[in-house]
Amino acid sequence: MNLFFITFDFSKIDNNAWIITVVGYTVVFLLLASMVILFNQWHRIKDHLAKNQRKKKSGTEIQEKADKNTSGDENAAICTALYLYFTELHDEEKYVMTVKKVSKTYSPWSSKIYGVQNSLKNG
Amino acid sequence: MKLKTFFSWPVILVILFCVISQTAIASGIDVNQLWKNTGFHNLELGNLLMILFGILLIFLAVRFEYKPLILIPMGVGVIIGNIPFAHEAAFPLGIYKEGSVMNYLYQGVLKGIYPSLIFLGIGAMTDFSSLISNPKLMLLGAAAQVGIFVTFLGALVFGFPLQESGAIALIGGADGNTAIFLSSQLANGFRTLPDGTIVQNLIGPIAIAAYIYMALVPVIQPPIMKLLTTKKERRIRMKPPRSVSRFEKIAFSLVGLLLTAFIAPAALPLLGMFFFGNILKESGVTKQLAGTASTILIDIVAILIGVTVGASTQADVFLKPQSILIFFLGFIAFMVATAGGIIFAKVMNIFLKKENLINPLIGSAGVAAVPDSARTSQIVGLKEDPTNHLLGHAMAPNIAGVIGSAITAGLLLGFIL
Repeated sequence: MNLFFITFDFSKIDNNAWIITVVGYTVVFLLLASMVILFNQWHRIKDHLAKNQRKKKSGTEIQEKADKNTSGDENAAICTALYLYFTELHDEEKYVMTVKKVSKTYSPWSSKIYGVQNSLKNG
Repeated sequence: MKLKTFFSWPVILVILFCVISQTAIASGIDVNQLWKNTGFHNLELGNLLMILFGILLIFLAVRFEYKPLILIPMGVGVIIGNIPFAHEAAFPLGIYKEGSVMNYLYQGVLKGIYPSLIFLGIGAMTDFSSLISNPKLMLLGAAAQVGIFVTFLGALVFGFPLQESGAIALIGGADGNTAIFLSSQLANGFRTLPDGTIVQNLIGPIAIAAYIYMALVPVIQPPIMKLLTTKKERRIRMKPPRSVSRFEKIAFSLVGLLLTAFIAPAALPLLGMFFFGNILKESGVTKQLAGTASTILIDIVAILIGVTVGASTQADVFLKPQSILIFFLGFIAFMVATAGGIIFAKVMNIFLKKENLINPLIGSAGVAAVPDSARTSQIVGLKEDPTNHLLGHAMAPNIAGVIGSAITAGLLLGFIL
């Protein structure tokens, strides 16, 4: 088929091209799918290993939660709480520091009475 | 006529030109030769059109902020590459002239050095958390690779030889660097075809098509996304991602590196550097190196790749009917890839439980335009439900798309070379 300067020739898609397309796409798909499977299983393996380790340490079976991983929302809530706690603490600290009364015992060494600026009286 | 009016700036310029030329003639300089060496004498319509095209790229980057980090260097490169000069000049000037400064810089493109270094930087700034917390989203990145293979077949139908078709196909991956890498290997103007002819140099048209479509992601994708999804599907709320440990992230990079490198070794320059960059980041003990790779290094390479690829689009190489075909094929590839990701998300939803459903809008992020396509998913999703944030989820297929397109590039190299 010829449209303006463009030529369409479907016979150019030979067996080799089909093989490249089908095999190529399948390999990409399978490769990424194998990573999906691996990391889906990884989560379970990791939990299992952690459970075994704890068993060894304590010698007693520990009640495990179904899902130990905290969600993004929970993390955000924890971070906000910590932030608020620390910022408030800082304010409190500042407040105490500024109003804290420091009592000093009298010392003639810092007294203005004996300062060098005092002029001597003649006579 | 007043004296002030008479001595306006054009008149002053003409007088100056006359004085200089007369002085030159008197000194024995060949003015004719001097004129022949100027760009004005060698200017052709093609050069002028390409210079205007370069200015258009700069305009798009400045006015609409479409991929400015790459379109500005590329636009300036197009202008530099199309400044006409006498080809018999005593010293080498053009980017294709061996020994010229631009030719030395262009070697980074031809040898695939710049794309590898950019992948190093991308790896150093990528966070795999969303991918690891929901690994099934990786399949959306795989599904979107359909765009590459459809373009491959389309390019063959349009009469491009196998090697050039392989290079053009990568526009469908929507990753400019991978497209440059593959075209530098398959359609570089040096390789010989089985019938004895030499492949065309398609690096410039392929790179520019890929980057322009990447820049136009927010324009091209939303209509397809809306067309292929229902209002109810666009409102699907996805389960928040779980937290991911550092160990898991490092393990992901190592496993990814080994798996991809063993199956598609030709993709090693890209994926090897990508996962290497990520290990630098996630190890936590090489923050300096990761910082340099993701900031200074990637910026330097982006400047060089942009300006040299731009300069490689000389009018005699770029202004051909094939370039129009490449742009057309790229557009089709982009749409097919977007549709592929969305449709596959819908198919996955058939098999998933209600609480694990995937919002099909993130399927479009399977194309490797990072992070533009993920951001587009977020924007389209927010229009339906202003409280439904999809960006975090969309990053997973987006990164999978980068990995998928690099693997595809490696496989095509392995098959065709």
